[in-house]
Amino acid sequence: MQAFVFIEVKEGALVQGSLEAITAAKTIGDATAVVVGYPELAAKAAEYGAPVICVKADGANPDEIVASLEAVAKAKNADAFFFAGTQLGKDLAPRLADRLATGCVTDVTGLEVVDGAVLYTRPAFGGTVIEKLKNHGKVQVATIRSGSFDKPAAGAAAAVEEFDPALGDVVKAKIVEAAKEITEAVNLEGADIIVAGGRGMGDAEGFKLVEELAAVLGAQVGASRPVIEEGWISRAHQIGQSGKIVAPKLYIACGISGAMQHISGAMASKYIVAINKDEDASIFGVADLGIVGDAKQILPLLIEEVKKRK
Amino acid sequence: MEILVFVKQVPDDGVEVRLDPATGKPATGSIDKVANAFDTYALELAARYTEANGGKVTVAAMGPAGTDSTLKNLIAVGASKAYLFTDPSFETGDEASVACRLAQLVKKCEAENGAPFDLILCGKESTDEISGQVGARLAEELDLPFVSSVIEVAPAGDKLVAKQETEDGYIKFETAMPAVYTIAKPGYDPRYPNIKAKLAARKAVIPTFSAADAGVGEAPCFVECLGYTEPPKRQAGLKVQEKEVADTVAKAMEILIQDKVL
Repeated sequence: MQAFVFIEVKEGALVQGSLEAITAAKTIGDATAVVVGYPELAAKAAEYGAPVICVKADGANPDEIVASLEAVAKAKNADAFFFAGTQLGKDLAPRLADRLATGCVTDVTGLEVVDGAVLYTRPAFGGTVIEKLKNHGKVQVATIRSGSFDKPAAGAAAAVEEFDPALGDVVKAKIVEAAKEITEAVNLEGADIIVAGGRGMGDAEGFKLVEELAAVLGAQVGASRPVIEEGWISRAHQIGQSGKIVAPKLYIACGISGAMQHISGAMASKYIVAINKDEDASIFGVADLGIVGDAKQILPLLIEEVKKRK
Repeated sequence: MEILVFVKQVPDDGVEVRLDPATGKPATGSIDKVANAFDTYALELAARYTEANGGKVTVAAMGPAGTDSTLKNLIAVGASKAYLFTDPSFETGDEASVACRLAQLVKKCEAENGAPFDLILCGKESTDEISGQVGARLAEELDLPFVSSVIEVAPAGDKLVAKQETEDGYIKFETAMPAVYTIAKPGYDPRYPNIKAKLAARKAVIPTFSAADAGVGEAPCFVECLGYTEPPKRQAGLKVQEKEVADTVAKAMEILIQDKVL
């Protein structure tokens, strides 16, 4: 099976999820990486063991990218086209699938080939239900959920092929302004320890305790959706179905009740500590250690204890 | 400005969905049905746009007969008309089927509305299936400009500027009309209905059409669901709760050190 992977570029670097998608593609056949625009990054992409097709187009505009991928898929008779499960990947995959008259599977967490057919697993209903799906279409199009596959080891560079799709004017949505509002570096996917806070922290002031505990532990700060909506911290910190999917060694959930939409984003954590004053909170059902008490009272003491041990 | 908002009725996402042991399928029957949250954000954004710039908002849904009460609720919060499309054939299919049917329903809605739509909105994803595909596929089916995760729409002469929320900022796209946008959570909440609007909405009659009435033919379907499982459960561990907070923390620390996580 000829499996192609769109390699997303963000701020001059290859997106981790796209590299993980190369591993996913390799489980079903021969993987080829596709870089749209950014010819300077084609060689970097080739280090992950899959040959690279470097497409001459504007890699910033989604309309140009979709048209490019459609051209590659048709010229190379692609059997599969995979994307990282990022915002951009989730925009491009269904559009490409529609153009190739095939189905698309979102947020794939597992893949297997049975009797020549690709079978997918993906979460639905906020993660309480796992679906097993089969795409009967000609081309297998899917987005791969971050953290579901390891990224391939970098090694000897594979071949790079230039590809000119000779696109005409394909842009229907023209970028007129782009801005970065969140400049802090938040690396939840790569974190060893995450301290996350929820509505139970009370207010923005209370949420600062979560940040303080994270600081003394050298941890990243996570948050549930209500916290983002209250504006206590930026959306770059959101964990869960509509945020980041994480798998740290230690996950400390403070004042988080444990709605499935949140906890499904942290289920892969090695060790979960939950702090909540409601002893029946559903977060305790998934926690290795549950601390029953008001997080606003527990956290200052916990911060002191951790400081003492340093 | 004529805006069409497509709405999906979903099980209340505040309730956890489990598998029915008898059927092996998600047990959603007893869960209240509501308008998908992102679709309600789309309606609110559309209502605010037309209040500021003129025009009106139509909502439409494909769904079972009971969906009309969901649509009535939406008439109380900014929609001026609603259409329901109900047909056994609509109950099956994948995202490609849904997008293909919606593309045909746009024409029927326009015929009923008596005017074409300048803008078609969907929520960026539904809270049940969470596949986020339908808006994008609908734009492709209609061959219209597409912008996803929009949180703001502004007029720009005979065009529109859509502000897309990204992970760390925003991108503004300019498109011609008509266009298809999917809507993320803007910085405001959908309005609550006032009593007058509620009473008027209760009296509203929602025109309902079958596939044949709407001229919707066969739709493609590619993705088949072979079955469902529940994710592996995590074993709940120890729970610590002492009389004094200090003792609780001390005991918790002891366990964390013993378990070698700190």
